[in-house]
Amino acid sequence: MLHTAAIYFDGISSVPQPIELTLDELQGQLVFRTSNAIANKWNIEAITFEHIGNTLEVRQTDNILALIKTENADFISNFLNYLNKSGHLGWYHKFTHLSMRTYLILAAILVGLIIVSYLVIIPWMAEKAVSVIPRSYDSSIGQKYYEQFTDENSVDSAKTEALNEFARQLNLNNESDIRFSVVRSSTINAFALPDGHIVVFTGLIDLMKNYDELAGLIGHEVTHVNNRHSMKMLCRDISGSIFVAIVFNNSNGISTLISNNAQRLQSLSYSCRFEQEADEEGTKLMIQNHINPLGMTRLFTRLKSEEKFIVPAFISTHPLTTDRIEAINKLIHQLPHKNIKNPTLEELFIEIKNKS
Amino acid sequence: MDNEISDLKNYKLSFDGKGGTFFGIVLVNWLLTIVTLGFYHPWAKAKQLKFMYSSTSLDGDRFAFNGTGKEMFKGYIKALAFFVLIFGVFFLLITLEQFYVAAIFFYFALIAIFPLIIHGSYRYRMSRTSWRGIRFGYRGDRNELFSNYFKWIFFSIITLGIYGSWMEMKMRKYIIGNVRAGDVEFNYTGKGLEYFLIGLKGLVLTIITLGIYSFWFYKKLFAYYIENMYLQKNGKVIKFKSTLTAGDTFSLIVVNYLIVLFTLGIGYAWVVTRSMKLIFSKIEMEGDIELDSIQQTEADYNDATGEDMSSFFNIDLVI
Repeated sequence: MLHTAAIYFDGISSVPQPIELTLDELQGQLVFRTSNAIANKWNIEAITFEHIGNTLEVRQTDNILALIKTENADFISNFLNYLNKSGHLGWYHKFTHLSMRTYLILAAILVGLIIVSYLVIIPWMAEKAVSVIPRSYDSSIGQKYYEQFTDENSVDSAKTEALNEFARQLNLNNESDIRFSVVRSSTINAFALPDGHIVVFTGLIDLMKNYDELAGLIGHEVTHVNNRHSMKMLCRDISGSIFVAIVFNNSNGISTLISNNAQRLQSLSYSCRFEQEADEEGTKLMIQNHINPLGMTRLFTRLKSEEKFIVPAFISTHPLTTDRIEAINKLIHQLPHKNIKNPTLEELFIEIKNKS
Repeated sequence: MDNEISDLKNYKLSFDGKGGTFFGIVLVNWLLTIVTLGFYHPWAKAKQLKFMYSSTSLDGDRFAFNGTGKEMFKGYIKALAFFVLIFGVFFLLITLEQFYVAAIFFYFALIAIFPLIIHGSYRYRMSRTSWRGIRFGYRGDRNELFSNYFKWIFFSIITLGIYGSWMEMKMRKYIIGNVRAGDVEFNYTGKGLEYFLIGLKGLVLTIITLGIYSFWFYKKLFAYYIENMYLQKNGKVIKFKSTLTAGDTFSLIVVNYLIVLFTLGIGYAWVVTRSMKLIFSKIEMEGDIELDSIQQTEADYNDATGEDMSSFFNIDLVI
């Protein structure tokens, strides 16, 4: 039997009542007498306790207000020992009383798991999920954006027609329809929408000197459509954001700042991979169509010289143009290719450049 | 007269929670919340509140949070159902192409929900708070708060937000004035005009000094909240005084920010405990209420819906 001096609050008034508290280990009870000589017996099964700092507070589960309080360190450690041996110490209590070292190790493991999930598992799952989403969904998203875009920008119908004719001459390995539009703008840019719409600005066309450069651009953009890059990006961004929201649930502004930047970096590096993929497969498309693949690098070199004035959006996500040019050159050297001059494409290219 | 002065006592508020212990709690909560896809949140909140309350003591006796995860989970489900209902009606109106009705409904719901949340969370939180076995309570009337709130919002809108200071003070007065700890009553005496002038001066000087004054500004705001609060029981009172300095607010804002930043968020638990410790050590209490004589008066209340709704909006209670 363990004894200690303790204080009892009866849950009726705030008067502290000094008591002699006994732990009856055989009966599994806490026993004490109050000043009016009433014997109280609290069953170990029906108590909750709080051990914080050097204080132990014990309450009954069905009358949570009344409490016993003691600061006797010997009694507290024996009491906790007894609870542990008799199986009344919950896993939660044990878990919140581990050593600092254990916590740090656990935290490190958890953080590691989260980083791996965020960088590898989640993106992988999101990309797989894209194959489940029907292509019609890509179309409706792309269509909406295209309508909005052409409302605000003027399409050059003669150039558009010629460009579509140019693309029809090529085998682009496309599963879904691909349509080109030429938009009047001095901006040096082009982009692909998920529904197969590829928008090219006149500013970019004006810059080109040869039809193989245009074919390079087409190869690049068509790869974005064929490989559903926009949809993959969207799925990854959404799932990444959801993941970050769950992980950083209920926290403050700073972690939001960190997570937002992580998300931005992550999608930047991701779009980088897509650009490389588009360069690579675009080059292969050129080779397949017997067009000089060096057109791709020539286009990039031209863009690079423009870069100091305007950073074209479709390469800005990956500013290391030099690296990309080198990568393409390396690929061209590896792949056998036979260039055949194509007068039809040449004629159409001149038409695209001059018509208006 | 002399007799009365010599009766004045000092009461000691303190916080002794350890960052390491809190880190353990946060870590377990975080892990379980992720694993259960968020459903552990009510239990997590209960554990966290238990730690915060029991780490805080008044004259050597600890406060207690007696709410349970189960209660808060029920509230969580109700709160969730309520939001689903609001969004359901909103989207129904959108599909019926009643855009104006939908917008008006949505803004009305957004404004109307706040007094309900405040009322609900105070009733629950206070009923679940105890000290020396004495339960706290909130006796505010929901309809009264609701109609006052709309009146205040209306004045704030027509005065382009200037009335906001008055609104905040009136709201504090109403809420704090309805808090009880057994038969001890809480009161608040802050005035809209004074509060407005502190805010105006603070804003102007903060801009002129490129932000440096903000530490003095926060110090003044804190003092204004604390020193306008007092406790009362049978004609006896306890008054509060803040000894928080501008250096302390600097430590609370800048040092905390740096700790979180350089520990990549892991230091969050220590930031919380060191802030609480600092804040409570800077509140002095003096008066003549006998703390041994408080009687149990407040009723039990176990509906945690308001409390749970408040966590959807990230609202923090002022007490």
